[in-house]
Amino acid sequence: MNDSVIKVENLVKYFDGRCVLDGINLNVPRGCIYGLLGRNGSGKTTTVRILLGLESPTRGQTFILDAESTNLPAKVHGRIGYAAEGHNLIQNYKVSRLIKLCKDLSPQWNDEFFNHLIETFRLPADRRVRQLSIGMRAQLNLSLAMAIDPELLILDDPTLGLDTVARRQFLELAIDLIQQQGRTILFCSHILSDVERIADRIGILAAGKLVVDCPLEELKKRVKKLRVIFPESAPANLYLTEIINQQIQGREMVITVANWNQQKQTVLETFKPASCTEIPMSLEDIFIECTKPNPKSIES
Amino acid sequence: MFTLIKREIQDHIVYFIGAAVFSGIFIGISISLIYDYPMRIDMAVARVGLGTAAATIVIFGFFAMGATQMYTDRIRRISAFVSTLSVSKSRILLARIITGILVIVTLLVPLVVAAVILLRLFTPPIPMYSEMVLEVFTGTFLMAFACYCIGLQYGWTSSKITHTLGWIGLTCILTSLILIKGFGLHTVVILALFIVVSLIRTWQTFKSTSL
Repeated sequence: MNDSVIKVENLVKYFDGRCVLDGINLNVPRGCIYGLLGRNGSGKTTTVRILLGLESPTRGQTFILDAESTNLPAKVHGRIGYAAEGHNLIQNYKVSRLIKLCKDLSPQWNDEFFNHLIETFRLPADRRVRQLSIGMRAQLNLSLAMAIDPELLILDDPTLGLDTVARRQFLELAIDLIQQQGRTILFCSHILSDVERIADRIGILAAGKLVVDCPLEELKKRVKKLRVIFPESAPANLYLTEIINQQIQGREMVITVANWNQQKQTVLETFKPASCTEIPMSLEDIFIECTKPNPKSIES
Repeated sequence: MFTLIKREIQDHIVYFIGAAVFSGIFIGISISLIYDYPMRIDMAVARVGLGTAAATIVIFGFFAMGATQMYTDRIRRISAFVSTLSVSKSRILLARIITGILVIVTLLVPLVVAAVILLRLFTPPIPMYSEMVLEVFTGTFLMAFACYCIGLQYGWTSSKITHTLGWIGLTCILTSLILIKGFGLHTVVILALFIVVSLIRTWQTFKSTSL
């Protein structure tokens, strides 16, 4: 039994001659909450759509719950909850009709949990989907995705359009779901504080490549931002590999280095700096550094 | 599968109503023609006129239905949503085609029943008539289904005016096939082959297109 719920092998996707995904390799283990991050147009949604078989890859293979994405059986679809970016619900249907359709087409529908979600979000069943606000549509989409008691939940920017209270409610629901053993979540979002709160593994897409793929804690340990002050002017080159960013101002140098280790520490010490202090980095800081041009790879 | 068919029927209920109404009107006109103009030459002319009008409505009606089903799916991204549930693309398309067949049946079955009753009442009991009814209605069914298949292709693949004209042209060629060759085994074989090829092509395009 393969323990990867999602497996992506050398995935390449071109749109009109433009390379969107350039040889992505990714494994999401069972029970993991994987936060897939990237700037707009970095290929997050395309990756998710290829995984679900909604888009075909130019090259490479993707597997989800041990089935190939290009030929996903209906039974496998029934084990995956999906909330799409932009909430692609059938707009001209009444909410009640859409719920009935999903219920009838889902073998593992959890009525009790769904009713709890509907009450929590106070969704009106008698209105058409297009008459709902963006936030309500997001809530409906999330409720439908969660009500099928999914083994794998794919959330593509799920909190987009939600207010602070609704976002908090959603995250708490997601945490509830996570606590059920064996559940896996692939979570794409721009709201990094949300990802930081729930994800235990992070992937960052930049320039069509997966530049980061490691546990969140490890990522924070391995990416270091240092303020180094030299006795005289700062050297132009530190001869360190995997420098993500480097700024020099007189004697002061601020560098961000990927995969920081003892060897790099030793190389830095040969320059005899007057002081070297670590600047704490949040996930947002790491994300900004990693999505700059020519990003360095950070993999566990 | 039943849920998918039910969804298609609810979304395209107007075509079922249209087929039932059209069938009723056609039966009404046929009966009134028989009673009002028995055994006259102008009755034959009226029949030809009525038949042509009916064929035109049927052919373009089913073309429009196939196109509407696929076009609304594309625009409203229905399959994109439904296929994320426990449903395969093949089942979505199959449910759609079954719905199309049900509309054709809604139109044709009352007409067949009415034709058989009218023939029993107003013509001598010659076996040739029942064979003729069978031939005409098999031909009409296949013709309507072929036009529906063209509509499915058109609705899913394109919205350009040149393509529209191309598909309408193909529909006209199929129509003229019946006018030239009439109803019979040749027509049935040609239409059946056309339908098979058309369905395979629709299935391929539907399966391979990004939703």
